[in-house]
Amino acid sequence: MGLKLIWNKLYQTLAAVRTGIFLIIIVGVFSAIGTVILQRPTSEPADIQRTYSPETLMWLDRLGLTDIFHAWWFLLLLSLFCVCLIFVSVDHWPNVWKVYSKPVRFAESHFRASLPRTVKIAVTDEAGALTLVERVLSRFGFKPERVTENGATGIYAEKQRFSVFAVYLVHLSLLCIFAGYIVDGIVGYRGNVSVPEGQALGQITLRDNRGGESKKTLPFLIRCDGAGEETYADGSPKKWWSKLVLIENGKEVAAKTIVVNDPFVYQGIRIYQSSMGQSSTPKTLTFAATAAAGGEPVMVEVPLNGKAALADGESLSVLRWVPDYYVQDNEVFNKSDEPENPAVQLGLTNAKGETKKLWILYSKLNSTKGQDAPYEFALKNATWAKFTGLEVSHQPGQFGVWIGVVLMAFGLVIAFYTQHSRIWATVIEDGKGGKLLWMGGTTNKNRDRFQAKFELIKTALQEQLGDGAAAKAKQKNSKEKTLTQA
Amino acid sequence: MSEARVEQQRPASGAALLVLVGLGIAFALLVALLAAAKTHSGPIYGEANMLYAALVLYTGAATLYMGYGVTGIERYVSAASLLTVLGFIANTAAVAHRWSVAGRPPFSNMYEMLLSFVWTLALLTLIAERVYKVKIIGSITMPITVVSVILMQLLPSDVRPLVPALQSTWLQVHVTLAMLSYAACAVSFALAMMFLIQDNMKTESFQALTSAGMVAIYASILLTRFHAGALGVTAYDMESKSEVMVSRGHPLFIQIPDLGWLYLLVLLSALVPLALYIVGQIKKDASLFDVASKGMFITLMLQAAGLAIFVARVKNGQYGAPEADGLYSTALPANPFLLAGMVGSIVAGLLYLLLLWRREGLQRMMPSADDLDRVTYKIICIAFPLLTLMIAAGAYWANQAWGSYWSWDPKETWAAITWLVYAGYLHMRITRGWKGRRAAWFAILGFAVVIFTFFGVTYLLPGLHAYAAG
Repeated sequence: MGLKLIWNKLYQTLAAVRTGIFLIIIVGVFSAIGTVILQRPTSEPADIQRTYSPETLMWLDRLGLTDIFHAWWFLLLLSLFCVCLIFVSVDHWPNVWKVYSKPVRFAESHFRASLPRTVKIAVTDEAGALTLVERVLSRFGFKPERVTENGATGIYAEKQRFSVFAVYLVHLSLLCIFAGYIVDGIVGYRGNVSVPEGQALGQITLRDNRGGESKKTLPFLIRCDGAGEETYADGSPKKWWSKLVLIENGKEVAAKTIVVNDPFVYQGIRIYQSSMGQSSTPKTLTFAATAAAGGEPVMVEVPLNGKAALADGESLSVLRWVPDYYVQDNEVFNKSDEPENPAVQLGLTNAKGETKKLWILYSKLNSTKGQDAPYEFALKNATWAKFTGLEVSHQPGQFGVWIGVVLMAFGLVIAFYTQHSRIWATVIEDGKGGKLLWMGGTTNKNRDRFQAKFELIKTALQEQLGDGAAAKAKQKNSKEKTLTQA
Repeated sequence: MSEARVEQQRPASGAALLVLVGLGIAFALLVALLAAAKTHSGPIYGEANMLYAALVLYTGAATLYMGYGVTGIERYVSAASLLTVLGFIANTAAVAHRWSVAGRPPFSNMYEMLLSFVWTLALLTLIAERVYKVKIIGSITMPITVVSVILMQLLPSDVRPLVPALQSTWLQVHVTLAMLSYAACAVSFALAMMFLIQDNMKTESFQALTSAGMVAIYASILLTRFHAGALGVTAYDMESKSEVMVSRGHPLFIQIPDLGWLYLLVLLSALVPLALYIVGQIKKDASLFDVASKGMFITLMLQAAGLAIFVARVKNGQYGAPEADGLYSTALPANPFLLAGMVGSIVAGLLYLLLLWRREGLQRMMPSADDLDRVTYKIICIAFPLLTLMIAAGAYWANQAWGSYWSWDPKETWAAITWLVYAGYLHMRITRGWKGRRAAWFAILGFAVVIFTFFGVTYLLPGLHAYAAG
């Protein structure tokens, strides 16, 4: 088989409406399956483990059924559908273009016979009859034109010829949407980052569709200058906000206070408020300091990265914060980020600048007693930094999607609410030496409405041409018809 | 053959009407009982009272519409229409009151969505009746509004503040469009069913269809809730007026012992008419249809009994769960899916009986098959753009709230499938000229998918997974 033959065969297959319908049905069926089988990107891993046995899960994974919507064959199906849409449109284009650019303006006898709606009225004055037709059609909102072909004169009137393109607009809008989606699938990304108050971070965590994680560095740093939460009287959250500043090459380039539903957009990267929480790192720690000589304890609040002055030129600083400590070989280690079992190493600097290191192992003894220092310290309180949970996404293809949606809205309005109606009229011989005014019409959709209009035009013509009895009967008839159709 | 049967029918008898009025009164009583269970407070023009007024008026209207369906007496329609208008006014007052109390349009939970849905459906019914002169449509849509309002009486109705993600105009646009398009889909479904009646589809085919619908409902209930003879229901804490959760997104299912077996029996009884129809079609034995009719009565009786026992056991008694210690109580509001399914199945059965008894009269009252076919198409031409914009508004909102306009979650996916089905309908109609029966079946399929998207995705799909482990 020659290459050309294969190409022809392929083109014929893909340019068939039937193929497109078949493909979209397959897409629909697999989409439905994808809602019944738990999908990795949208389910908790524990739920998947609990629901399926290990062997079942292995097979589901192998067949790609646990992530249908990102599987290569699903995307292939969607792409094939797009190709099909394009080929079908191309295949049908010449016909549509012919209808649009070279409309049949004069109704030949064989064309007259093919029209579904026609009327014949006996006339005596040919020119007068055609003028009358022009007048009546204008009254019904048509713009009639006179056409002459092979010496015969006729009238042609049409409305909303552009309506033949509606289907192209709808198909184009679908292509825009799919193209946008595919672009986002290839170059887009979506991740999250938790930024504690006062810090600037530039790396986000991306989740891939298999539940794994990877890091991505943004072209800027996000600094959180404050975050907060407002609640309703019943305690449920009302508003989450974060004051964000973007830093590019060491310079502040943009700032915005974001809330849920109102993201920060910078250079096509969108930053969303997604959650709010308390960081496990304290902002300040408060200690009760009791002088070794005795007396009332004094409260000292020490910022985590700073120091607080005591009497006599001495100062206190926090050297190490260990949220969840354990001791091994006389060394303090951390085992988690949760402040479950904290330990603090304090630095007491005297006026000469000498620093003494002191430990508080909170669960053992909340005091520095016996560590040979002029003060005894005990941990009394801590204030915690807030962190803001941000979702960061880059989806350049979304503009294709929105353009597609707008196009589709227009396309559907044109497709459903406009119609290409055409009316022809000419004077023909009745075969008995008399003359007949012939009028016929057709439309590409919404035939009932056109039918009603055609009847009204017919009645008007019959009245004017003095076909009185017939007109009256028709009028009564058409009134009934419009009633039932209304 | 169905023609012969239509001729054998008795003329409109007082007995059939009596049955229907009796059913209407039974409905009203049930409603009154449910309403009494809820404490009504607030001003007389307040939402709860207005909704109750709407319920009573709608119930009256539904009964009269169905009475018209049975007897063909035109006077019933004008009275029903008047009741619908009054009910609609009360319904509007309820919506307005809630709107002003909440300070936002009422779309944020199942209760509020049903409130808006009922309002739209009543409006569309009035439009269909007054503008399109389709009088009989009320006998299908008004029972749906009654069932919906009853469901609402069972759902938690307190005005809850909106969490941050829901505070979006786009969400409101999305839900408004969803309600409008779903109501339009419901009307197109009713019209398509009426078309099948006018198109002289055999009565036994309607019976098989009804039976298949019932089987689908009870099969999905059993598939997700049957557990070793017991029926799983959601545990409900009366004090906090909320479901008991095992973990986030996983409500606790408690087991009502032995009720599962009863529902299995109901499923089997609903299967009988369908099975007899299939056997009858294969063997070409028309006599089986009469047996199937008896089966239909039996399954309806069983379903009514099942519903009554379900309500009684939910109201009195505490039940255990395999994954939690202790006994928990449950409540009707916690099980909207089960209730909607059971009540829906019974209503479908009653509508079928209406057809069985009064087909000839019904056919005289309905518009011609051609008109119905055309109006169905027109309604879908309205529903489809609304559906499209609804999905688009939802995507835009998701993009504003989470930074992703499409994430293939089940609700989104099924909305897209709904869109595809209606797109298929329009495509076939416009390019291939599909009309009549094929188009009507397509419209019915579309509405089935709408129902699945609305109820099934919320209650059926998670249920499927909740029990897969057990």
